[in-house]
Amino acid sequence: MTQQRLPPVDGVRSATAPERAPRSGGRRRRHSQLAWILLFLAPTVASIVLLRIVPAIVAMKDSLYGQIPGSVADANFVGWDNYTRLFGDESFHQVVATTLLFTAVVNPIQVILALALAVLVNRRVWGAGVVRILMFIPVAVPIVGSAIIWGIALRPKGPINGLLDLVGLSPQPFLTSPGQALLSIVLICSWIGIGFLMSFLLAGLQALPEEVYEAAKLDRSGPFRTFFQITLPLLRRQVLFVLVTATVANFVVFAPIQILTRGGPQGSTNILMYDAYRQSFGIGNANIGSAEVVILVLIMLVIVGVQFRLIRGED
Amino acid sequence: MVIASAPIQQTPRRRRRRREYSVGRTVAAAAIALITTLPILWIVINSFRTSTDIFASLSPLSWTTFFPEHVTMANYSSLWNGGFYRALWISVVVTTFSIVIGLVLTSTAAYALAVFRFRGRGLVFAIIVIGFMLPFEALAIPLYRVFTDWGLANTVIALVLPGIANGLAVFNLRQAFLGMPSSLREASRLDGASELRTYWSIYVPLNKAALINSAILLFLGQWTAYLWPLLIINDPSMEVAAINLAGAFAENSSDFGYSFAGTVILSLLPAVLLIGLRRFFLDAGASEGDKG
Repeated sequence: MTQQRLPPVDGVRSATAPERAPRSGGRRRRHSQLAWILLFLAPTVASIVLLRIVPAIVAMKDSLYGQIPGSVADANFVGWDNYTRLFGDESFHQVVATTLLFTAVVNPIQVILALALAVLVNRRVWGAGVVRILMFIPVAVPIVGSAIIWGIALRPKGPINGLLDLVGLSPQPFLTSPGQALLSIVLICSWIGIGFLMSFLLAGLQALPEEVYEAAKLDRSGPFRTFFQITLPLLRRQVLFVLVTATVANFVVFAPIQILTRGGPQGSTNILMYDAYRQSFGIGNANIGSAEVVILVLIMLVIVGVQFRLIRGED
Repeated sequence: MVIASAPIQQTPRRRRRRREYSVGRTVAAAAIALITTLPILWIVINSFRTSTDIFASLSPLSWTTFFPEHVTMANYSSLWNGGFYRALWISVVVTTFSIVIGLVLTSTAAYALAVFRFRGRGLVFAIIVIGFMLPFEALAIPLYRVFTDWGLANTVIALVLPGIANGLAVFNLRQAFLGMPSSLREASRLDGASELRTYWSIYVPLNKAALINSAILLFLGQWTAYLWPLLIINDPSMEVAAINLAGAFAENSSDFGYSFAGTVILSLLPAVLLIGLRRFFLDAGASEGDKG
């Protein structure tokens, strides 16, 4: 697609323009450069188009078609029917509400804890290097493994309840109760994600110039004031990056839910991502599933956009 | 890491102040590190005991939860019967292909975006931004329909493809390539080297850190993949290790030993790579943040 957009005369300019002095060879060089650009870029552009843009278009198109589940007849165009059906469906309202609740809880928890941990281990703590590596270890466990570990740990007669019993608290149902299942998923996702997010914030903290803190010291600024008025504003880009990364990742949380709760109990962990999967493959209603994929991506883009506005907009 | 936090010259008074703070901090950091690592210690140790033994030790919590009386390798050998090692081999093959092809793709694209100015550059950038703003998982369901229509279900190609085009890797590499002095490329071209040769003999060898970072991104993306292999593979002989583990857990969730041993094996490679190459991973995080 870049091909048609490149007129031969002035389309291609080398980044190091002055060197193309010999006028006669210029045209040929520009052509050969065009060939290199195509050769170097085409595979990546083609694969992103194939893997992201094509499925996005397919999802949008499929969401406008309808088919009786299980039927062999071709799907026919139904316009916005799938969307109006979803918007009028109370169980779908619950799916959206659960998704928004999950997003509103899991992302602040992860970002705030990651930030607190990063600040904690950034200071001169004895054995800080070892502690940082240990906190990073959950990143190494593939998400399926983490889901299984926590599924077993949170069993009604599992070690977490054993621990609660040890300190004199009553056992909790965790994943088996509608009231606690979503929070249990939040706990699992946080255990998986915080060390990873922390590492980015820690790298940002360590890149801050030491003089900033020296100046704060001279100003007799206390640790809290230093953090909120100096560290946090300087770290805004990293915080935004981590918040957006967490938000996008948590919108598409799948393995822990599919492996541990299958959206239950009573739909309490049935977030959009899982419901789109359930509709497409469990119930066999791929068109409703496609509409849910479209809605999921739209909600996610809106929330990420708001995050950019709020954090970036302060400039 | 320890070097990074080495104290600079300080007056005695300030040093004492720091030390007062650090006792509480050290305890807090150690406690948190324990919380993050305890579950891992638990499965590593328990992977060496039988499932019945694990089950019996789960509750009530006691020292036997963490310290087995009988050590056995039975779980690791039962992974053979459950097809885990064959699945692991497929994971290794898929991940290796993804890293090699992915590195070639992302680094050549990054080179083109770093050294050439051309019309349509903005469009290419937009496509790459879409490539990492849209999470792959959300689009896996429609992509499944595309791939099955093309007859790609149950193929290695279908497993490899989603892992090769990593927008973030392109950006990180481009950032590194932009840091190269343009005189290097000019000199190389005056010597008659082609763009391919300049890329391969100058840019690639001088940017190993950024390439390692991209390799880690590509590796993590494939090694931990779950949804896509779940959708696109239904032939058990083609399943990857993560699917094998989840499948065994779904079928017989009381065979804790199988799950634990499988998780330990599946985590070994990322653990070694992430700890060994942690520096490269974090550097890119910092530059990503700086760029904003």
